[in-house]
Amino acid sequence: MNRALYRLSLACLAMFVLLLINVNYVQAFQSGSLAGRPGNARAFAQQFQFQRGSIIASGGGQNTTIAESLPVKGTNMYRRHYPDGPTYAQITGYDSVYGSTGIENAYDKYLAGTAPSLAVHNLISLLTGKPKQGATVYLTVSPRAQQAAYQGLRSDGGHQAGVVALDPSTGAILAMASYPSFNPNLLTTFNGAQLNKIDHKLLTDPSQPLLNRAINETYPPGSSFKVVTGSAAFSTGKVASTTTPVFAPQPLLLPNGHTLSNDAGEFCGNGRPPIIQAFWMSCNTAFGNLGMKLGARTLQDYASKFGWNDPNLTVPMPVSPSVTPLPPGQPPDPSLTAYMAIGQYSDGATPLQEAMDAAAIANGGKLMRPYLLNYVQAPDLSTIASTRSSVLSQAVSPQVAGQMTNMMIAVTQNTGGTAYATAGPPAVGNLVIAGKTGTAENTINGAGLDDAVFTCFAPASNPKIAVGVIVKGGGFGAAAAAPIAVKIIEAYLGIHQ
Amino acid sequence: MPRGRRRTELLMLAFAVGVVLFAYANVGFGLNGKLPAGLVEYGLAFVVIILAAHLAVRRFAPWADPLLLPLAALMNGLGIVMIYRLQQSGRSGNPGNQISTITASATATQVLYSAIGVAAFVAILVFVREIRVLQRYTYTLGAVGLILLAIPALLPASMSEVPGTGAKIQIAIGGFSFQPEQFAELALAVFFAGYLVAKRDVLSLAGRRFLGIDLPRARDLGPVLIAWGVSLLLLVFESDIGTSALFFGLFVAMLYIATQRTSWLLIGILLFVFGAYVSSKLFSHVGERFTVWLHPWAGDNPTHSSYQLVQGLEGMGFGGILGTGLGHGQPFWTPLVQSDFIITAFGEELGLTGLMALLLIFGLIVQRGLRAAIAVRDPFAKLLAGGLAFALALQIFIIVGGVTQLIPLTGITTPFLSQGGSSLIAVWALIALLMRVSDTARRPAPQPIQDEGMTQVVRAG
Repeated sequence: MNRALYRLSLACLAMFVLLLINVNYVQAFQSGSLAGRPGNARAFAQQFQFQRGSIIASGGGQNTTIAESLPVKGTNMYRRHYPDGPTYAQITGYDSVYGSTGIENAYDKYLAGTAPSLAVHNLISLLTGKPKQGATVYLTVSPRAQQAAYQGLRSDGGHQAGVVALDPSTGAILAMASYPSFNPNLLTTFNGAQLNKIDHKLLTDPSQPLLNRAINETYPPGSSFKVVTGSAAFSTGKVASTTTPVFAPQPLLLPNGHTLSNDAGEFCGNGRPPIIQAFWMSCNTAFGNLGMKLGARTLQDYASKFGWNDPNLTVPMPVSPSVTPLPPGQPPDPSLTAYMAIGQYSDGATPLQEAMDAAAIANGGKLMRPYLLNYVQAPDLSTIASTRSSVLSQAVSPQVAGQMTNMMIAVTQNTGGTAYATAGPPAVGNLVIAGKTGTAENTINGAGLDDAVFTCFAPASNPKIAVGVIVKGGGFGAAAAAPIAVKIIEAYLGIHQ
Repeated sequence: MPRGRRRTELLMLAFAVGVVLFAYANVGFGLNGKLPAGLVEYGLAFVVIILAAHLAVRRFAPWADPLLLPLAALMNGLGIVMIYRLQQSGRSGNPGNQISTITASATATQVLYSAIGVAAFVAILVFVREIRVLQRYTYTLGAVGLILLAIPALLPASMSEVPGTGAKIQIAIGGFSFQPEQFAELALAVFFAGYLVAKRDVLSLAGRRFLGIDLPRARDLGPVLIAWGVSLLLLVFESDIGTSALFFGLFVAMLYIATQRTSWLLIGILLFVFGAYVSSKLFSHVGERFTVWLHPWAGDNPTHSSYQLVQGLEGMGFGGILGTGLGHGQPFWTPLVQSDFIITAFGEELGLTGLMALLLIFGLIVQRGLRAAIAVRDPFAKLLAGGLAFALALQIFIIVGGVTQLIPLTGITTPFLSQGGSSLIAVWALIALLMRVSDTARRPAPQPIQDEGMTQVVRAG
């Protein structure tokens, strides 16, 4: 019987060897791929077991925490908290158990502490027994400007709207708001069923609160596009100076037999006003005619110099490209080109693009790349990343920028300017804002009213802030959009009326 | 003069108790950063239980293998530690989710079961002074075994089904439940040993040769077919695939030890493969085990039928090579982790390193059992010890292989570690039988009464 027992012992040995090989396979070799399996509850829960880095709005010399991880009582978990949720929601995004958006998503590697530049720090924490901690992300957003931006949008009759404010000299984003917004705190629950319910509600809400209108929705720019058309006219030499008279009939007869009228059929001066007057009055016929003289391709080229038609722009969240499609035909249909020149036809701009147009003019024609990241600070307070501002393009020459600045000043300072009442001396006193209004026909906005647009920078003599506002269905740009821009500028510059 | 090595045993027991107490303290530090509640009470109870076992061995089995008791004590203790750790999940401010199927008194109950298990161990050492005694009860124990197996199948599902598993393997009366199969295994092992010792000559000699292997006579196939039938019945009426495989493996192994004929092994394996294949086609619950095993990640499987397996694997992967440390893992994601899947909790928190150590301890217990079987002279003791040691190895292979996706998963308890009294008491009884056999094997021959110096012994030619 012993021979059989020896053989059985070998069988037992074989069983244990198989088990040992298999557990080695599972725990040593399969470990990584198991951790990466979708729905791995452990890998997932782990990310809430350490303190994720905070997000701080640090523009304009003010530091405000806009996202932080707080310990949850009775557990070893940390839950994300957004102190002023809806105001900053489009910037911070949210970090839920199902995924993240916004800065939470874009700079996750810093916030979660997985960036290679944090590896040494993490190792030291591990060795010294300190809990792992994410890095703090400082944003260029100015709390003052952001508050003013969100409050401005919110108190504007409940229209869907977006706004961006930039520092023209660096491209730093000072404010970025969208309305209606959402409360990201609702999405940080660990309760999956509750999260699903909230998520479903937000996704099916017809007002699309999750949509970041500031960078991800385009609207017809309307007359604000005359900044681009004017720049092209000066740059190409079609118009020599701001006092050069331009052809501005009422109405303008188009090659296709239709006519282009000014707003409310107003006459544009004597029909041959200096371009600066056509600009402050926002004459469609003058700029429509200029557009036909310039041609659709030239208009598109100059728009692109201002950052339009760029599908790769990120801040670091991807920005929907603002577009100026060419009208059909070879050469492109001149009648439609006239509409294109006044920001109609198929032009579409994000509020960010409106801010970039003004910022380029404000910065002597030099367009800076827009960005949100100020710097990243490791838990040991060392800076591990920061943004160096860079030039995106030279939109126009400094001389043309100066001419455009004078025209934009006239819009608010000349008593006949479209924004005289809402962004000129009656509204802001001594502060000189250079801007351009836009009132875009948008038949598909469903509001029965035009979209209100305002692009501007201030102070005109020494620009510190450029703002682009679009209020969907808001009506006149001067009435609905300009006051919001004014509030942001005043808040940022510290002017109290 | 050969030595009983009881002092070695005591020393190793002290080491085992030390490891267990350290692990228990470790759970407290891991969960709360302080010494856990119950360290003194449970620790003291454990020391008393183990010391009682040791004293009983000193008194009733002085020549028994000195390794078996320390190894068993270590595994029993580690099982209590892990059950405490799982019980504390989500309770009293500890992190994690509360495991709804484990009560706040699980540890105390497990310690109580350990005491009963050791009492059974002592009782067997006391009452079974010679392993041969059991041979007298061959058929009695055979009948007892079959009845124990049959009861859950005959009871209504409300009294016999383990909630949530579909397996009808217990007798539940009031709040108390009892899984008779664990004891049936022991009774049937004694029956097989007694029966085979009596019939082994017939089984091994009669028959004819075919294709180089000796085939048994058709009428001698009866017992094998009966054992096969019993295991299939277990499968069909009690939905207990693991135990069914275990019984059949135990019987075939003992048949092989008794007859030394490979043909029995071949017949046994063929019958098993055939039975498994047919039942996987006939019964959906068996077929599903194969699907889960082969395609745990396919389709909606990870969230449905293979959820438990996937959670166990992900837990082991999460532990990696060194483990998260006791109290630092998340074993609570795995359903019923305190039962069949407890080995994955060890894998998660002690890592590959700790899991391999546990498997080696199990391997050592099996090896000591087989060693006793080889050393003992009495064929009945040989068969019984060999069969029990093999059954233990097979049980570990079935459950550990199942939860690590080596073989299809079949619900069966992990010896010493899983929560539950029946399994723990039965495995202590099994250890007692192995120690009784090793005591017989290692006991020196009786000393001659006369002083050899005074008498000249003349060896007869």
